[in-house]
Amino acid sequence: MTASKKIVLLGHFGVGKSSLIRRFVENEFSEDYIVTIGVHISKKTISINETDSASLIIWDIEGHDDVKKARASYLLGTHGFIYVVDLSRPVTFKNLETELSYLNEKFPKIPLKVVGNKKDLVTKQHIEQYSTILTPFIDYFTSAKTGNRVELLFSKLAKELL
Amino acid sequence: MNQEDKLSIIRDILLIDEREFAASIEKKINDLELSINVKDELSQKVNPIIDEKIAEFIKSMPNEFSSTITEALKQEIKNSQDEVVEVLFPILGKMVKRYVQHEMKMLSENINNQLNKTFSYRRFFGKAKSKVTGVKDSDLIIQKQLQPKIEQIIFIEKGSGIVLAEYSKEKTMDEDMVGGMLTAIKSFTEDAFKKENQDLNYIEYDHYHIHLQNFSSYYIAVLVSGAYNVIYKDRLEDRLLELTEKFIKPDILKNKTQLTEKIKVYFKDDSF
Repeated sequence: MTASKKIVLLGHFGVGKSSLIRRFVENEFSEDYIVTIGVHISKKTISINETDSASLIIWDIEGHDDVKKARASYLLGTHGFIYVVDLSRPVTFKNLETELSYLNEKFPKIPLKVVGNKKDLVTKQHIEQYSTILTPFIDYFTSAKTGNRVELLFSKLAKELL
Repeated sequence: MNQEDKLSIIRDILLIDEREFAASIEKKINDLELSINVKDELSQKVNPIIDEKIAEFIKSMPNEFSSTITEALKQEIKNSQDEVVEVLFPILGKMVKRYVQHEMKMLSENINNQLNKTFSYRRFFGKAKSKVTGVKDSDLIIQKQLQPKIEQIIFIEKGSGIVLAEYSKEKTMDEDMVGGMLTAIKSFTEDAFKKENQDLNYIEYDHYHIHLQNFSSYYIAVLVSGAYNVIYKDRLEDRLLELTEKFIKPDILKNKTQLTEKIKVYFKDDSF
């Protein structure tokens, strides 16, 4: 059986939301930065087990420095959220706790994965430097460029949604 | 004869030819000045040469300069594409319009000719209908040709954009992507107008019409090709309302297979 699930990616501008989707759906990456205006929708069906599969309808909405500014109607009926931060730009995660509290409060039962992207651009020491902000919240350290842990992120979330 | 006279005689003998020669040169210079300074005189001389040169240039131009001119034009068009499109668009529009009008006229004439050659009961009733409605019978036939046709019906959950059911005779689009995008467009438009309880009801895309019938938890998107008009919209709305009233119950909305079957049976004959 195939179940359709809506996933919305959130986060600041340029954290790599579109790149993560592109890596997951098309297995491609581009260094060019093309800003997302409005919303872009992609789809990928993945098998969860021998009998079940999930058709992920992924909403890539434009970036906002405050999650409250995201168009509320785009978030309606979402089955799962992915909140993305750019590990190389601390400004994208300095309010991480507040942002996540807001999401948990507004969508209490919706699974949420927090992703530290662009891992390829930073060192271990850099991550350790910001460990107090990052460690308690980040579920996956990913790199859309290398593809590291991207597939894992989406498949784990899909399993939770079924 | 003194010395002075002798010298005078010698001077005359030596210079007489030169004086004549100088006079002839002076005359020639005057003639030349006349031909250069007087336009008519100059034209008489120069025009045949210029004409000859122009004729030669015209003759040799396609061979010698065509590649340079083509390259220059190509470059110019490439550099100012927007301007070219701006200029060509109205011209092309007029040409296409004229062509379509011409083709429609031809089609109408062909149908008329065909009708004049044949006689049947259908033709008889067609004539009768034409008389009652006041619409030419050939126009009625064309109208029949352009009758709206349902291409795809998608039941979409409001908010999430998840497809609840889909039915189409020939699958042309990915319903999940369409469901998502339509919902995003609806959300954006409805948000932009900032008035509550208003819904987006219709989208036109190329020669397709997307009719949107809104309900509380879901909406139905019907992709229609052909001449979608107010009368058709009215009938379609009635059909969709009847379908939802009779068959769509909350439990069916959760069952994709059952819902698809209901739509399939209900819209088997879409000529209404």
